[in-house]
Amino acid sequence: MSASFLQAASVDEALAALDAGARPIAGGTDLVVGARQGKAPLPAALVAIDRLDDELGSISDNPDGSLTIGSLVNHLRLMSEPLVVERATALADGAALIGSPATRNVGTIGGNVMNASPAMDTGAALAVLGATVHLRSASGPDRILELDELWTGPGTTTARPDELCVGLSLPARPPRSGSAYLRLEYRRAMEIAVVGAAASISLSADNLVETVSIALTAVAPTILAVEGTAALAGRAVDTNLLDQVAALASEQARPIADLRASERYRRHTVGVMARRALEAAAERAQGIKLGVPVNRNKGIGVSL
Amino acid sequence: MNEKLSYQVTVNGVAFDVDADRDANLLSLLRDQVGLTGTKQGCDDCECGACMVLVDGRPVNSCSYLAVQTGGRDVTTIEGLAEDDELHPIQQAMLDHAGVQCGFCTPGMIMSAHALLETTPKPSIEEIRIGLSGNLCRCTGYQSILNAIGSAANAAD
Amino acid sequence: MSLTDSTPAAAQRFVRADGPEKVTGSGRYAADLELPGMLHAAFRYADMAPARLAGIDTSKAAAMPGVLAVMTAADVPDLRYSPGIADRKLFATDMVRFEGEILAAVAATTPAIAAAAAAAIEVSYESLPAVTDIETALDPAAPLVHPEWADYQVDEGIVREGNLACFSSIERGDAEAAMHEAHTVVTSRYVADGCHAVPIEPRAVAAQWEGNKVTIWSSTQVPFDARAGVCETLQMPTNRVRIIVPHLGGGFGGKCGFHYEAHVAALARAARRPVKLVFSRAEEFLAPDRRREGMVFELTSALDADGRLQARTGTVLIDCGAYVADAAFFPQLAAMHAVGPYQVPNIKIDASLIYTNHQPSGSVRAPTAPQACWAVESHTDELAAAAGLDPVEFRRLNAVDSRTVGPTGQTYEEIGLQECIDAATNAVSYGDELAEDEAIGVAIGWWPTFVSPAGAFLKMDEDGSVQILTGAQECGTGAVMTLRQLAADELGIDPERIEMIYQDTAAAPFGPGATGSQTLVNNGRAVIAGAKQIADQLRELAADQLEAAADDIVLIDGIAHVAGSPTAAVAIDDLAATAAGGELLLGHGSDPFPEPPEAVGTTCVGDQGLTAWVGPQFSCHAVRIRLDRDTGVVRVLDVGAAHDSGTIINPAGALGQVHGAVMMGIGQALTEGTVYDEHGHQRNADLLEYKLQTIADVPHIHTSFIEPPTNNAGPRGAKGLAEAPNVATAAAISNGLAKLIGTPVRMLPMTAERVWDTIGSAHDQVAAATEGHGK
Repeated sequence: MSASFLQAASVDEALAALDAGARPIAGGTDLVVGARQGKAPLPAALVAIDRLDDELGSISDNPDGSLTIGSLVNHLRLMSEPLVVERATALADGAALIGSPATRNVGTIGGNVMNASPAMDTGAALAVLGATVHLRSASGPDRILELDELWTGPGTTTARPDELCVGLSLPARPPRSGSAYLRLEYRRAMEIAVVGAAASISLSADNLVETVSIALTAVAPTILAVEGTAALAGRAVDTNLLDQVAALASEQARPIADLRASERYRRHTVGVMARRALEAAAERAQGIKLGVPVNRNKGIGVSL
Repeated sequence: MNEKLSYQVTVNGVAFDVDADRDANLLSLLRDQVGLTGTKQGCDDCECGACMVLVDGRPVNSCSYLAVQTGGRDVTTIEGLAEDDELHPIQQAMLDHAGVQCGFCTPGMIMSAHALLETTPKPSIEEIRIGLSGNLCRCTGYQSILNAIGSAANAAD
Repeated sequence: MSLTDSTPAAAQRFVRADGPEKVTGSGRYAADLELPGMLHAAFRYADMAPARLAGIDTSKAAAMPGVLAVMTAADVPDLRYSPGIADRKLFATDMVRFEGEILAAVAATTPAIAAAAAAAIEVSYESLPAVTDIETALDPAAPLVHPEWADYQVDEGIVREGNLACFSSIERGDAEAAMHEAHTVVTSRYVADGCHAVPIEPRAVAAQWEGNKVTIWSSTQVPFDARAGVCETLQMPTNRVRIIVPHLGGGFGGKCGFHYEAHVAALARAARRPVKLVFSRAEEFLAPDRRREGMVFELTSALDADGRLQARTGTVLIDCGAYVADAAFFPQLAAMHAVGPYQVPNIKIDASLIYTNHQPSGSVRAPTAPQACWAVESHTDELAAAAGLDPVEFRRLNAVDSRTVGPTGQTYEEIGLQECIDAATNAVSYGDELAEDEAIGVAIGWWPTFVSPAGAFLKMDEDGSVQILTGAQECGTGAVMTLRQLAADELGIDPERIEMIYQDTAAAPFGPGATGSQTLVNNGRAVIAGAKQIADQLRELAADQLEAAADDIVLIDGIAHVAGSPTAAVAIDDLAATAAGGELLLGHGSDPFPEPPEAVGTTCVGDQGLTAWVGPQFSCHAVRIRLDRDTGVVRVLDVGAAHDSGTIINPAGALGQVHGAVMMGIGQALTEGTVYDEHGHQRNADLLEYKLQTIADVPHIHTSFIEPPTNNAGPRGAKGLAEAPNVATAAAISNGLAKLIGTPVRMLPMTAERVWDTIGSAHDQVAAATEGHGK
């Protein structure tokens, strides 16, 4: 179409454009707002991938129980798609909290992941669900990266400029599993995460912890996976365990102080979010229905 | 890099051949080229919703959406809702329930409500709250808008 | 508990005349205007302050292709302006005092070129120490924000000195002696941050010259003030400056005053082309001199053994920012609010407006009142606790009532404050058992009705339809829309037969504009007076035709008939046709406004005429909240809002004012506050970091209007309304929170982190006290 803008008709065409130096744009939420705020001008050459729904827009339920989510799937679909709500509930929680309905319509999971903001609302959920990211390029073999191999800092990743995120995989979860994501909110909508936390848990038949995983939002340069949760196996999900998880989260957080909160307040509230996320995840693991997002179905944010 | 690009966009059912900077956003295309000023600019970062339009029926903050990405697509603005002299039921309900004061947020609010009712024809109050949460209004305190959208939904069959 | 307010049945009768264009997108706002050859303006701001301006070089900007004009102070008359204290210039000359101060303006063929040219202007500064703390700004060693303050022209009655922009005090009885004799004395300190009006429309101004006359389209709430500002600063006669306001996208005080009309007019004259200025959201936050002021309160009150207020002393400091804007009357208003609507025999309140290097403060919806009410009403709950009284009981005991004397010696006629307390508390079932971590806070507030001159022209044409030409300004409230109703009732015709010409200084006589909740009271008075003249003409004509006395003619439902004989009638349209062949049906109104009542026994230094109030408004808000103790996040669940704003003429419009003000009040209480760095830069000048309440946050709101008969007010006993509901919400939330925490949150906004900190320190204090007992 032109030197500065290509509307890709296929993933291959998009990859060729990336190889030639173009940058991808899907909904443009982060890119265009960033440019308007003077953070970074729009790239010299753009390749629009927003019409590649056939190749990048599906959610598939694989025979091994894993889910594959195309990078163009938007947040609106993530929060309402039964496969995601049932099997990757924390991701639905996170997607449902992003911006407004318009942002959730325009914004995609691929864009969110590759933008690599430590405040992204889907990041902690993806981390506790063990997501991997699928990168494709014109020049080499596909690469599948763990999230901690992908994210290196605020807005930075190990993806090469010629690589396109084509999707994510979420591994199968054992039975009696649940997950949840919570965010600290000063108002009931249109928030950006001051802190947030996701938890996933799987329980034994007698409701003891088999595995638990916690990840934190906006308290480190990248989404932060909490360490030391393996030791919690075999425990009951009780006040002691929840206190311990809150403490682990608060201790490991490396928050900054800024306009939105002090370091001290972030460190405290991220523990609160971790505790609540784990509590909600455990409820879900036991089959208790807790609406998406947890933020608006439990506690201070519940609907009037 | 701000190359001029030529493409066609359909706005409220009318096709326009446009020639615009690559970096032009949809809001400026609508206001400056297509000549429809009902869509408003209230902020710079998708926070106020005054610029809300529909692209292929789905809500989009036109201030932060590249115009070129609407090439070949259908855009609906506030000017596209009323048919002849007949107000759209959401527009009429906003008047009947005093959901309009200064009116600056009104076009965006109505477009968000339209998008909501397309997918959720009988929304709960909570669904209206969340569906319109990207549209700030400083005048009404939202109460009359909740009443208006609830009534527009109930009136539709 | 009653249901949330539903749409009043009368809403249909008041469907706004400007509604259809607003819901269809065809209504034009200032930024929507496009004139042939129109250029785009951009300002170069100081971006830093304070600093001495060492040099400014516009040559590179002026040489850029597409740039048609670049202006600085050198290109406009060298004079200072501003009501009260003339401390401002259009463009900075020797010094910049806040980051949004304008150094230069550019007109260019596109907004992008204008912005690039503004950025290409080279400025050199010598940085100066900043004054950012009002508590140290009066220290003799503090740098002066206005070193040349003594040379400024000021209005009579204004008391000032150095960084003290102006001062007001209220003295009554002997407060100090009363403190000594009191049973209980409580002292409190409260600190409120500044905040913003945040109309959803960022302002826009366009100007076009034809010969020596200029037409300016501006998103102003006060077109006549804007005209006066242009005439003063560009030294032009009033009749060559025409201000037209297209639809105005909200104001809330933020668009009061004269702002950028002269800058844009001067640019258009220099460029010989129409010029349009459209603000970004960031500019809307940073540049105007209409920020809500930060304040510090130190209050001490004395009670007798029965819990009756005996004395109040207080110091109120108000952050003026770098220029006075319209804030010269703030100290007196703040002093009044530092007492509140209570019966207090002994008072000594000092209120100071203090220059700093912050953005200038100016009238935002009930200036000084929400902050002061928050402080005073939080203090009042502390008093109630000290007296062992329920907070509502304490207010019933001490608040003013009909035929009592207020704090400054005004004796009230019929007022509805006590009834407001009943209605608001009943609306949220005050006293019933509440869920865990829930509480109801209650606060009362007051606010004046402002009066000023206003005029209106009316004409009834040959078909019986009417035009009103009014200087009133519609900022969204619908108050101007209500004027049709007033005229229709005088003329006995359907309001749909009336059109209005408004928001045009060339067409209509003076009006104060959408400021001080004045439209219904003042423009309404003028419209009724003008309509009465036409009604009298119609009665004379009907009397002739019906062979009756003019005094016996009744105008109703489009008919003029003889009183008691509905069949002896003639259509008003026919009378209009008759008049069109002879003496035309014309009316003009500008009746004198009500005089303020007497204040007895009070001394007020720095008096700006606000010691005693015409049509005083009273309110009570009772708010049920829920607290998340682990995070400090507060949720407002129910609001009972009861108001004595006199007679309510347009119920749907009145409800809209209460709802909007309550939501604004919740924002001020919890999430809206300007955050500054140590250099006086605002850190949250955008809508992501400066958080307005969303529709997802709306509580149930239950509104009651108490309508006592009011003589000394506007038409039919109407008082003002738009500001009063913004006064008490934050205070009520504070009192609910204090019940849950055990101590008030002493900073506004009461952000989640501040609430959490307060919970933490309350907990620490209890722990420390317990430990002390153990030893």
